[in-house]
Amino acid sequence: MVAMSLYTPVGLGYLPVLTVVNYVNFFTSPQAPIILVNTFGTILLACVITLIFGYPFAYFLTFHINSEKAKTYIISLLMVPFLIDWTIRSVAWFSILGEGGIINYALMVMGAIRQPMTLLFTRNALYIIWVQTNLLFMIFPIHLALNRIDRDIINAAKVLKAPPHKVFYNIVFKLSLPGVITGFIFVFVSTLGDAVTPGLWAGGLQVLGLSVSTYASNFLWPQSAALAIVLLVIALAVLYVLLKIVDIKKLIYE
Amino acid sequence: MADKVVATKDLVKWYGKSVLALNKVTFEIDEGDFFVLIGPSGCGKSTLLKVMSGILDYDEGQLFIKGSDMKNVPPHKRDVSMMLETYALFPHMNVFNNVAFGLKMLGKDASEIEREVKESLELVGLGGFEKRSPLELSGGQRQRVALARALVIKPSVLLLDEPLSHVDYMLQRKLMEDLKTLHKKIGNTFVLTTHVQEHGLSLADTMMVMNTGVIEQIGRPDQIYSTPRTVFAARFVGDINLFSGEVTSRQGDTYFVKTEWGELKASSKEGPDIVGKKLAYGIRPKFIKVNDEALSLANQFKSKFSGYYYFGDAVECLFEIVDGITVKASMAPEAVFNLKLGESYTIGWNPADAKLIEKPSVIEGLDIEEVIYGK
Repeated sequence: MVAMSLYTPVGLGYLPVLTVVNYVNFFTSPQAPIILVNTFGTILLACVITLIFGYPFAYFLTFHINSEKAKTYIISLLMVPFLIDWTIRSVAWFSILGEGGIINYALMVMGAIRQPMTLLFTRNALYIIWVQTNLLFMIFPIHLALNRIDRDIINAAKVLKAPPHKVFYNIVFKLSLPGVITGFIFVFVSTLGDAVTPGLWAGGLQVLGLSVSTYASNFLWPQSAALAIVLLVIALAVLYVLLKIVDIKKLIYE
Repeated sequence: MADKVVATKDLVKWYGKSVLALNKVTFEIDEGDFFVLIGPSGCGKSTLLKVMSGILDYDEGQLFIKGSDMKNVPPHKRDVSMMLETYALFPHMNVFNNVAFGLKMLGKDASEIEREVKESLELVGLGGFEKRSPLELSGGQRQRVALARALVIKPSVLLLDEPLSHVDYMLQRKLMEDLKTLHKKIGNTFVLTTHVQEHGLSLADTMMVMNTGVIEQIGRPDQIYSTPRTVFAARFVGDINLFSGEVTSRQGDTYFVKTEWGELKASSKEGPDIVGKKLAYGIRPKFIKVNDEALSLANQFKSKFSGYYYFGDAVECLFEIVDGITVKASMAPEAVFNLKLGESYTIGWNPADAKLIEKPSVIEGLDIEEVIYGK
């Protein structure tokens, strides 16, 4: 694929002559910045939102639900959506996000809005769908990391005069960081690979994945390959940075 | 109650619905005392310590520390520090920051923290260890970090949960010496739990014997050793031979106690009138004499030398009087040298050395035989 990305496009075909023109064309095109920001901006924001919802849930599950049975039950409930086929799940989004859907209905009944909001085919739909789909990937690693924390350490911190919020920040949160990073990476990779949702549900948002498949479906292999490589490189760069955070924690730990 | 550093009244703690860990526990600790809680596993000593620290809440009763009611007072507001049984060092911090943690939480400034942490580490013999990771340390070193960490915040009461339990013998002895020295030097109140009676006997100013959620006896170690109030306390503190019997009569200075295998004599110089009572007759192994030395003593029995345990300084010898009844005698190795296993020897002891204990345990309804022989 790397080789393909370096071939020269000629009309609707290509010549196996090495060139970087595919990359140049992309980065100099006016859409490039928009596409890149769309792609990585939405992905990172989705990861952050998932973290904001996922961490409290994982915390509650670990520390406030005491019976093993209840814990298993809740985790199973979270997995139920994955048992449903993707296409059928997609149809469900109509009835949830649509103008006559549940969210709009509930908000109108509560009097929060007067007219149904357009949720489908907007960016917000993308976030809602992505967060819902990936919440489990965030909750689970964080739950595992939190569960591993020796309760005695928390007790020790309390007796050493740490008030609850400091116990949380200094001990619990810091020790759960590997789980947070792991969850973040899972959601990142999952959303990265999802070129379909933005196209289908977010109103054809200009996203790198979409561009890749558009070029590919028009048989413009070199251009498609180049964009795919760009996607890969940027993704690897982000992953590298994320992994460094955990590493640094271990090296420079207090 | 106000002048004692720790006081409880009828403290009750349940685990779930069926396990009563603390059953109306009432006691006081004097300021500056080295207070040792001893008892078998499950007696409630760790629970009591955790309740005192605030890690666990209690269900009924009262707990006072330095005169203040500790109901609803969280651990970070109590003038108490604790060294946990598992040490619980913070794995993501080095030794310095572990020890400094409490001081940081108390808002001390950086230079003061640096000074106090260094001093505390020197005190436990870990000067120079500041930058090390807890994961690199040996068990004994980790323990001393935990101790330094608990001491550095200068608590009124220092709680130590089984500090001697996961440590080898040499280190145990050293640790006991160190704790005693530290206690004298710092002068605050130490409360320590252990299930090994020797630790209690050597460390304690005051000892409290616990048994499934109740207090069997509190007192100075030598008091409990010489005058145990219950059979449980007698069994748990110092080794003792115990037999169940009934006081048949009293003649002059002597009580006559009938057991299923013979009649035993005990002194009755100022004793109460307990004729007819069923009780436990106890005699400590060190008071049992063999052969010539036994011949002049009022309690004398023929027995078979059935076995021994060698302890280096002393030998614990087992003498079987009748089938199933064995008397333990603690003897010097030289004296045992002349004895042959399986041979018959006379053993004896002075009635004045015997103890008569009526109460099996503070717990009501226990059969004296059960407490003597264990269930």
